[in-house]
Amino acid sequence: MAVKRDTDFFHDLIEQNKGIIYKVANAYCKSEENRKDLIQEILIQIWLSIDKYDDQYKISTWMYRIALNVSISFYRKERKRDEINNPIPDNIYYLSDENLETESTELTLLKRFIRELKELDRAVIILYLEENSYKEIADILGLSVTNVATKVGRIKQQLKKKFEEKKDLI
Amino acid sequence: MEEKELITLWKTYDKKLEDNLTLNKKNLEDITRIKVKSLLSSMKPIKIFAVVLGILWVIFVDSLVIDLFETANAFFLISAGLQAFIIKLAIGIYLYQIIIINRVNISDPILDTQIRIAKIKSTSIWVTKILFLQLPLWATFYLNKSIFENAGIYLYILISVKILLFTFASIWLYRNIKYENSNKKWFKLLFNGKEWTPIIKSLQMIEEIKVFRNEES
Repeated sequence: MAVKRDTDFFHDLIEQNKGIIYKVANAYCKSEENRKDLIQEILIQIWLSIDKYDDQYKISTWMYRIALNVSISFYRKERKRDEINNPIPDNIYYLSDENLETESTELTLLKRFIRELKELDRAVIILYLEENSYKEIADILGLSVTNVATKVGRIKQQLKKKFEEKKDLI
Repeated sequence: MEEKELITLWKTYDKKLEDNLTLNKKNLEDITRIKVKSLLSSMKPIKIFAVVLGILWVIFVDSLVIDLFETANAFFLISAGLQAFIIKLAIGIYLYQIIIINRVNISDPILDTQIRIAKIKSTSIWVTKILFLQLPLWATFYLNKSIFENAGIYLYILISVKILLFTFASIWLYRNIKYENSNKKWFKLLFNGKEWTPIIKSLQMIEEIKVFRNEES
């Protein structure tokens, strides 16, 4: 069943899932300025696709697919929307405390290591860390469950190795 | 760093966002008011323009071949006919791209969507490959009987070398313009420009998806 493109529904949807969009955008875009653009692009695509939402899928599955698809392929700095013809609002998300001092070194490193992974591997590990089941990850990516399990194992090993290399910093 | 620790660490990130991330509702509402198309739809006008231009060119060349069929020399008729055929193939690729653009659903599984998007971009390289096949035709369309009747040995050699070179270059380029050669100097020189970057990246993405799909335990 499709959902009507309704502003209130859109607001609630984004409010309830704001973390998903922010975390995915943050994994694909380090610079704050580019991240702001990417978040806007993800939100635009969600708004444009909202009436195509099929409730046979969990809403989070649907949102992960859009956020990851936009992050992997659509976002190119040079392809920023024409801000004169299509004025886009300013910041939509505010992180009141982005101070690194409040974040553990391990978390900073984990975010950095994730950004260093290949685009598709990044999607796998984010979905895994978000505690999606292998079945859900397989649905979001369009892979077999066995394949997901193999990839998660391999990427975890990669992250483990990277942490070991940097253990003097922790 | 053990498995559980990674998830626990990620949860601290969740907690931080939960406590500090706020939405600006006014700006979010603005998103629903602006008139924007999906980024893929914005690729359509240029493809449609190329198809229209290609069709007009093909109509022009085909009409010329038909009108001059009785009077023009065989070199011109064959060269023009083949050139129009190559353009028709390129139009076919543009039409294929438009169909794929219409079939992409951004909320479909990641790999299906990514492969479709990559194909839209990567098939642009097919247009280039096919268009290179025209090269020898530009060295033959103006030839006629009187050139051969009055030509000396040097002109014969010159014409033959030119046709052979153009033919060799076109076939070589057609066979070698592919992802496997994207690291070679000549390839980088030929596809050196901002407009080619997403196309080369999409070729890379197709290869990555192939490997990604085949990775099993």
